[in-house]
Amino acid sequence: MSDAVTRNWSDPALLLKALPTVLLQTACFVAPLIMTFLLTFQRTKNFQLQWTWDLWTWSDIFSKPHYWTILGHTLFMGLACVALCLLIAFPVAYGLATRFKAIENEIKVLITFAFITDATLKIYGWVLFLDKNGAANFLLMEVGFPPDMVTFLYTDWATLLGLVYSLSAFAIFTIYLSISNIDRSLILAAYDAGAGKLRAHWEITLPLCKPGIWAGSILIFLLSVGAFLEPKVLGGGKSPMSAELIRQTFETRVNWPLGAALTLVLMVVSIFIVLLFTRMISIKRAGLAS
Amino acid sequence: MTATFENRLIDIILWSSLAAILIFFYIPIFTLIAFSFQEGRFLTLPFDGISLRWYGELFRNSNALDALWNSTIIAAATTIIATVIGTMAAIVAVRYRFRGLKAFQLLAGAPLAFPQLLLGIVLLLWFSVLGRAFNFNTGLITAIIGHIVYITPFATVIVAVQVHNFDATVEDAARDCGADSWQVYRYVTIPLLWPGIFSAAIFAFLLSWGNFYLTYSLAGSARTIPTFIFSGIAIGSSPLYPAIATVVFIPGILLVIVASRLRRA
Repeated sequence: MSDAVTRNWSDPALLLKALPTVLLQTACFVAPLIMTFLLTFQRTKNFQLQWTWDLWTWSDIFSKPHYWTILGHTLFMGLACVALCLLIAFPVAYGLATRFKAIENEIKVLITFAFITDATLKIYGWVLFLDKNGAANFLLMEVGFPPDMVTFLYTDWATLLGLVYSLSAFAIFTIYLSISNIDRSLILAAYDAGAGKLRAHWEITLPLCKPGIWAGSILIFLLSVGAFLEPKVLGGGKSPMSAELIRQTFETRVNWPLGAALTLVLMVVSIFIVLLFTRMISIKRAGLAS
Repeated sequence: MTATFENRLIDIILWSSLAAILIFFYIPIFTLIAFSFQEGRFLTLPFDGISLRWYGELFRNSNALDALWNSTIIAAATTIIATVIGTMAAIVAVRYRFRGLKAFQLLAGAPLAFPQLLLGIVLLLWFSVLGRAFNFNTGLITAIIGHIVYITPFATVIVAVQVHNFDATVEDAARDCGADSWQVYRYVTIPLLWPGIFSAAIFAFLLSWGNFYLTYSLAGSARTIPTFIFSGIAIGSSPLYPAIATVVFIPGILLVIVASRLRRA
């Protein structure tokens, strides 16, 4: 175990190592965010930015329900994606932490590779698979099904499939880590106390791997609301999500203040939802404890 | 229900869910590999024939080769810089106690949970405003900076795991033997952290290589493999893309295997 060393900011050893990160993330993460916020108080005229300092963009956003419908759709897709990811990730993460010991590393390699490979290529692979003349329909016909069984490419279902595909590995890894950290003797103690497998699972394993479930959910939710590759390529761009709206605002309408404001609305609303959920959980837990 | 029966049932459920998810994960990958050997011009089944024709076309297509080159340059630069900054940040975040540690950890990790498209847009606005003031355009350099912002936190987390398991007394021992602080780093700290640093570098390379959103926003007119394919599939399918995919998959899986070996060692 590494021992913590107490240091002062004037210590060159600390300064030398911390400064690059601080400079990088201040200059290329925090500062751009602040500037994005300031841009929302400007206007555009003939595709040119005007430094006007007023609330025109914000009053536009709050008066048009169109933006909010798309935002609602995005958040709904995000939550659906989180639920599906947890559902498919949990059994795999659980097995990986407890029962697949013999081939644990091979499984991890396969999942990591599938997760980290070029997203554009994988999404394109899904298009080839799900297309009307694609691999899925061909294989189904070969085994005797009628033609055109798989027809959900270019719908919201395909978008959801793409999101779950791209993001579920986050849940597998976070849940796996928290299950492998559970002290095995707690579960054995539950058995000794007469609990069945299911009961021990429900009362020991599930509550103890909550941090992993939460970390995975938050990551997946925040990343899914910013996705635009899946809705565009698999969903066919027919029911746009916020990210696509933002992209269009910048690229087609060249309206920076509006795009900046929509970006901030999306971020603030999704962080608010995350906080709401974590707050709800901690209140529930406090209620149980008392 | 007897205990053995219960056990068998759980095993069956867990193993079949593993099989299901691996099939799910590899459907698009194997679809692409299969289609890369298609002889004809159209990506439909059944195949006209099996051939390596599109691999040949790929290496004669200058746009595809340019994209491959740009991807390599961006990924190489990002890997080196992100791994160095991330390693230093990991040592700071795990080993040192100082005022503002929590703020430092938050700052070092925040881009992880920030959607890439939005990060790309925010940076594009930033570089556009700066570019107007200092007269530069977006291109490979701005794309590299964007990748570094997003990938450094990943490198930090991976190295931090290694630092966490690091026995600091060997550093003290080296110091007692008269090593100065540079020698301690050169001969003790870095060699011991090397598996973590190297696997962080591999992940940084793969994340940068496959990155779409940041490159799309920040690379200006330069194309990398992901943006080259995206702009292509917006117009229509081409049998070149499955061939590119297969060529890209092989080094990818090899790197993931190397990284996994290293972390076990």
